[in-house]
Amino acid sequence: MSMEDYDFLFKIVLIGNAGVGKTCLVRRFTQGLFPPGQGATIGVDFMIKTVEINGEKVKLQIWDTAGQERFRSITQSYYRSANALILTYDITCEESFRCLPEWLREIEQYASNKVITVLVGNKIDLAERREVSQQRAEEFSEAQDMYYLETSAKESDNVEKLFLDLACRLISEARQNTLVNNVSSPLPGEGKSISYLTCCNFN
Amino acid sequence: MADTSGEVAAVPASGAANGLSNGAGATPAQPNNPLSRKLHKILETRLENDKEMLEALKALSAFFVENSLRTRRNLRGDIERRSLAINEEFVSIFKDVKEELESINEDVQAMSSCCQDMTSRLQAAKEQTQDLIVKTTKLQAENQRLEIRAQVADAFLSKFQLTSDEMTLLRGTRGGPVTEDFFKALGRVKQIHNDVKVLLRTNQQTAGLEIMEQMALLQETAYERLYRWAQSECRALTQESCDVSAVLTQAMEALQDRPVLYKYTLDEFGTARRSTVVRGFIDALTRGGPGGTPRPIEMHSHDPLRYVGDMLAWLHQATASEKEHLEALLKHVTAQGVKENIQEVVGHITEGVCRPLKVRIEQVILAEPGAVLLYKISNLLKFYHHTISGIVGNSAATLLTTIEEMHLLSKKIFFSSLSLHANKLMDKIELPPPDLGPSSALSQTLTLLRDVLASHDSSVVPLDARQADFVQVLSCVLDPLLQMCTVSASNLGTADMATFMVNSLYMMKTTLALFEFTDRRLEMLQFQIEAHLDTLINEQASYVLTRVGLSYIYNTIQQHRPDQGSLASMPNLDSVALKAAMAQFDRYLSAPDHLLMPQLNSLLSATVKEQIIKQSTELVCRAYGEVHAAVMNPVNAYKDPESILHRSPEQVKTLLS
Repeated sequence: MSMEDYDFLFKIVLIGNAGVGKTCLVRRFTQGLFPPGQGATIGVDFMIKTVEINGEKVKLQIWDTAGQERFRSITQSYYRSANALILTYDITCEESFRCLPEWLREIEQYASNKVITVLVGNKIDLAERREVSQQRAEEFSEAQDMYYLETSAKESDNVEKLFLDLACRLISEARQNTLVNNVSSPLPGEGKSISYLTCCNFN
Repeated sequence: MADTSGEVAAVPASGAANGLSNGAGATPAQPNNPLSRKLHKILETRLENDKEMLEALKALSAFFVENSLRTRRNLRGDIERRSLAINEEFVSIFKDVKEELESINEDVQAMSSCCQDMTSRLQAAKEQTQDLIVKTTKLQAENQRLEIRAQVADAFLSKFQLTSDEMTLLRGTRGGPVTEDFFKALGRVKQIHNDVKVLLRTNQQTAGLEIMEQMALLQETAYERLYRWAQSECRALTQESCDVSAVLTQAMEALQDRPVLYKYTLDEFGTARRSTVVRGFIDALTRGGPGGTPRPIEMHSHDPLRYVGDMLAWLHQATASEKEHLEALLKHVTAQGVKENIQEVVGHITEGVCRPLKVRIEQVILAEPGAVLLYKISNLLKFYHHTISGIVGNSAATLLTTIEEMHLLSKKIFFSSLSLHANKLMDKIELPPPDLGPSSALSQTLTLLRDVLASHDSSVVPLDARQADFVQVLSCVLDPLLQMCTVSASNLGTADMATFMVNSLYMMKTTLALFEFTDRRLEMLQFQIEAHLDTLINEQASYVLTRVGLSYIYNTIQQHRPDQGSLASMPNLDSVALKAAMAQFDRYLSAPDHLLMPQLNSLLSATVKEQIIKQSTELVCRAYGEVHAAVMNPVNAYKDPESILHRSPEQVKTLLS
């Protein structure tokens, strides 16, 4: 199996308040580095990463959006084609957590109703400055039917897990859609045999 | 064995005989006593050192088992009989040997005869086949030489020729797939074509040239086949998710040695992807994603900003995806200009969407959704021009050109909309409202300007571009607005006009103060406000002086010249008149707020109003000071001036502050 061939292609869009660490999460996952002094994202950035899950190659198109209000009208347009949305807040910033309902309203308005949403609490390396408890976030995500994960882009905690578990979930969803829409337009990976996946273990 | 045993037996007998004989020979030298002689003889023999004796005794012990007188007397006879028997046996055996030897002799004679015969015949045959042998030798030598040549030829062929399998791979069956082995074979052809140059430097130039030509032809055949296969593969890449195979990547790597074929293949890829992107775009617009999710973009065409934004976002993602596909396709290509190739092909791929995109954006723009939306759309287009140019580079990609055209069109219509609005202001200028506040036209225009500037604030374009836009927007809106206000106020009285202008300018100033890049314009507005404030200050001061009766007195004093005589002698400036004026002035001092121009209450800004009151009061104080100085001057011949003006200027200033 070569690097050019892949079985699945998924689009993942990261959203959330400015400064919560969305770009750092993406850079940590795609390039294995934590960019010091990361400036604000302008508009939308595009990165790609191919991973292998259970012997299958999955290409992830990761769209990192600007969190600033002035870019909102632009970034909203990228929700519609997303297979998954990673809604990020900063555990050391109460404000970024309190804005989540607003983000959810945008998701409801602009994203596909089949989109998978993951709530991510970033910067757990700054635990001594935590302002949002894990329990509170878990309750919120459970009420909103979202997966929840806490990460540290700086320390690499759970970053790989976030994207790989999400990819597993997306593969599973794609297979179900393939079965349902077998008559309609083909999806990537059509015709692949269905096997049981054991690595999806979101909370 | 029997013979050997016989011989062994014979020797002891002889030895025994010799022993006896030796004993008899030594007798004469010894003394006469026979017993003594015998003992001496026995002792002298040294039996232990005579191996023959030992052997004889051993043989004797084999049959001489009983030592009796009779056996001792018969011993000689026994030994002789035994010796005789052995000899007879020997003769018998020897007879056999003799017979065998005779037989052998006969055989040898026969063989010798046979050999003679054979030698004769061989000699004859040899004479007959001498030529044949010579030929055979020559042929063998030649055979060896030819075998060496065969080895050389095999080595030559293995180095300079392909195997039949490799030939089959390169020529291939029509429509057969290209595999890894194809590229190995192609590599071999190139290797041979390169290695064969060695032959050109030897005396094998003909072979070298022929091989070179052969390999060149085969190479072109292979490239032709590879090109057709790659072309066919590229033509099939019409799914939205473009799956570039490893073999196709290798094909591009190989084809880079044939720039024309490489270019054609890239063109084929571009053409296939172009139709895919166009179809994808139309589907995204009209049908949405698989199963209707996400929803069609055109479902939001009633919301111009979202509609245009969704289209541009889709194109941004499509462009990024197509570039990524190309990078995968050309992953192994090391030739110069790969980056330019990619940008060029991406430009070609996205060219197909330009017309449907342009038609729709034009429709949105020309529907004139209002200046604010037009401005937002213009900025959105500018942002995406910048974003997408980051993907396709700054080459003259049609998509970028289209976006730029739409940006310029939306900007043009935007400013046209602003100008149209501004022109309407001049068409029917409304009179200022009774309260001298801003006119409805002014309020509406400033609201429009605020919305434009606010959307500009959330703009995504770079700062320098925003600043340039600001200058143009402000100029387009404010200049006509100022003109309108000026014309509108032209029929008013001085104080009314100044109040109206101050209010209007103040509104403009407060609107602009919220935004950046407006400092210069704010400064200009402030200057204009201050000019009108001066008017109001003077008007207020005049108003007060007139009301308290000091106006005429003050003016006369200011215009008075010494040659006109004393002030006291002038009409209306006598002591009585001055006392009457001071009485009114005192009432003013006790309640200054009662003497305010009505227009001051119409001022929108309390700060401005306070400023006017303060500065006009200063003018009044200064006027009183001059009157006071004139009255106190003896030249003016007022009798008892303290009884006329019983307050000093300082006291007045204190009371009014």
